[in-house]
Amino acid sequence: MNKARRRKDIMRTSVTWISAALAVLVLTSIFVFVFKRGAGTFSWSMLKDDYWSKNYLVAFGDVPANDFALPDADNEDEFFSRKFGFGLADSVDKENNQLMVVTTISAMSPLHEGTITTAGPDQGKVMAIPLDARIRRIDYLDQDNNVKSTGLLGQDHSAEGAIGRLEQEATAIREIYFQSTGGGIRGSIIATLMLIGLTLLFSLPLGISAAIYLHEVAPRNKVTDWIRAAVEMLAGVPSIIFGLMGVSMLFRVTNLFGITTQSVLLGSFTMTIMLLPLIMRQTEEALIVVPSSLRMASLSLGASTTQTIFKVVLPNALPGILSATLLSMSRIIGESAALIFTMGTAISDSPKISQGATTLAVHIWTVMAGEQPNFELATAISLLILVLVLGLNITVKLLTYRINKKWQV
Amino acid sequence: MKKTKIFVIMLLVAALFAGLVACSDKKTDETKAPTTEAEATDAPETEVATEAPTEAPTEAPTEAPTEAPTEAPAAALTGAIHVYSRDAASGTRGAFEELVGFEGELTDDAIVTDSNGDMAAKVGADQYAIGYVSLTTDFAANNIKAVSYEGVEPTQENVLSEAYTLARPFNYVTRAAGDFGDDKKEQLVKAFIAFLTESAEGANAISSAGGIVDAAGKKPWADLKADHPIVDEDNSGIELVTVGSTSVEKAIRAALETFQPMAGNFTFKMSHAGSGEGPAGTVGAEKDSAKKGDIGFTSRPFKDTEDVSQSMSNGTFCLDAVVICAQVDNPIANLNKDTVAAIFKGEVANWEDIK
Repeated sequence: MNKARRRKDIMRTSVTWISAALAVLVLTSIFVFVFKRGAGTFSWSMLKDDYWSKNYLVAFGDVPANDFALPDADNEDEFFSRKFGFGLADSVDKENNQLMVVTTISAMSPLHEGTITTAGPDQGKVMAIPLDARIRRIDYLDQDNNVKSTGLLGQDHSAEGAIGRLEQEATAIREIYFQSTGGGIRGSIIATLMLIGLTLLFSLPLGISAAIYLHEVAPRNKVTDWIRAAVEMLAGVPSIIFGLMGVSMLFRVTNLFGITTQSVLLGSFTMTIMLLPLIMRQTEEALIVVPSSLRMASLSLGASTTQTIFKVVLPNALPGILSATLLSMSRIIGESAALIFTMGTAISDSPKISQGATTLAVHIWTVMAGEQPNFELATAISLLILVLVLGLNITVKLLTYRINKKWQV
Repeated sequence: MKKTKIFVIMLLVAALFAGLVACSDKKTDETKAPTTEAEATDAPETEVATEAPTEAPTEAPTEAPTEAPTEAPAAALTGAIHVYSRDAASGTRGAFEELVGFEGELTDDAIVTDSNGDMAAKVGADQYAIGYVSLTTDFAANNIKAVSYEGVEPTQENVLSEAYTLARPFNYVTRAAGDFGDDKKEQLVKAFIAFLTESAEGANAISSAGGIVDAAGKKPWADLKADHPIVDEDNSGIELVTVGSTSVEKAIRAALETFQPMAGNFTFKMSHAGSGEGPAGTVGAEKDSAKKGDIGFTSRPFKDTEDVSQSMSNGTFCLDAVVICAQVDNPIANLNKDTVAAIFKGEVANWEDIK
């Protein structure tokens, strides 16, 4: 081998090496990025909390001022009301909105005995203001018995100002409007599971039957080839086009069920059509792997073609079909464009089949689309999605490995 | 042959390592505080010290120092203008570009900031900067000042009296009466509109979220409540759907959240995707489609093509102002429309060229 030739060879191989290294590098940097920014926000409470804060309006029946001792623990950011026995601190949420948070409540504070004033089943019930409640407005009576309000929706926009005013002017507390902590993704997780369940319910029977027809039943001619080519082509259609089709055509189908808005059902119909090519192809691959000697044996024992397909071929293709299912699941988890059209972008805490909701991926879109994008929450959700998809992909790999081993003689 | 193979492997490992280091460096920039603290223990201060000064001097000194200090504050600033803009998704940016009239013509040299606070902080740290923020920004804390527009100072009063023109209305439009599909919902929408436009609590909620409302003449909700008995019922089964502009989202969310416990815990769904969908989803072409809503919002006046006359009610519930800002030490005090457009288009590149 001469020198020039050798140099060329080295260059060629190094190009392949560098390309592979680049792919690995990109993957690692995505993980590093998502972990660094998202790991801090990722917590159990994020997974189980509602996204929207609950709003409470609690009345205190003009409970008069008292004299409370300052709390023992010294907290620099806290401002304590000696008249009513509670401490407030300033804070900001993930979207950079200003907050006023309850940090301490004395044991005898009137804040433990509010009554809910909102009309509904809970009206009149006693409610204690919890720690970490986000105070929005405090209505109080001043010396002349005028109702005044302070807090973020009142005259003072800081904990110091609000407490200062209460200490100076207030003789009694009348009403407090506060919010619970929100920012969780429970609703989106449920919506994602609903979408996965519904979509698989529709698409698996359709896709598997179609694949069986194409591979086992259909005559090998031009028409079959043409159908197969059409399915392949369907796989290449960008998902946003499926979304458009969903919102204009399938919307009419969901209308028949009395659903008049974007809904999880509409999303699952759209995803069903999107997943058909994937499921059909994967199932066909699985059918191809089943050795034809099995079919021959079954037929020679006197079974009909249909019996052979459903009792011999299909059970043996099951691992392949299962991996198609898992791949479909990760595709559903990752889809966003088509779902923005068909399921809407409004985050719902208690998703229903007949109403719009966001999946995890669309939840990211929604929190990033506002005036104050919420990077932390978005990357924390990304982390969850990455872990889920990675888990599903590894399972698929294991399954494929098992099938290959089974038929390798 | 074996040697070359080892060489190539080492090269690749080095490249991978360098890449990882570069990528993690970027992260330390973003989360400066914690990492510098962590590093301080093993590499005391040397890194921190070298980082800071290298950035500042390269940008500023060459043009400025000889003239600026000697000629005192009255003299105009000289040097290149650093144009700051918001990210493309920002409603503030959309409004600013539309009102000044340079949509899509922003100079390529503009530095993009990703939030209102980010813009204020960056402009406050750059002597040559010009940017724009919302009127609710804390100017003093960020070391910035508001620049008058067409000779009018940006104040709440001037915005409300329409003298300050770099402002836009936030409008609402409801579905037509009888078109809500549910009589209770219609009454609830009516109550909410009253809360939004007439009550002091509503005005407070809107202004806490940055909207500009004239608080004078607003009544306490307790006085208005009598006209809307629906709020004393359990409304947890009713869902109000709002559609339209994303810029109004924050103000409307604050108002809806405040109103929720006052009106029987109704639920709401905010499906905002742009001003055009506000009138369309309530009284326009989309009113029976998947994008329909009970109340629509726009962050601009209604267009002639948007016929809102059939709605149960429509109008303006608050105003929003954009303020041109510069660092406190910058002598610039007033700019008119053409100059602003020229600066943001990049046609005027230096502070001394501003007339």
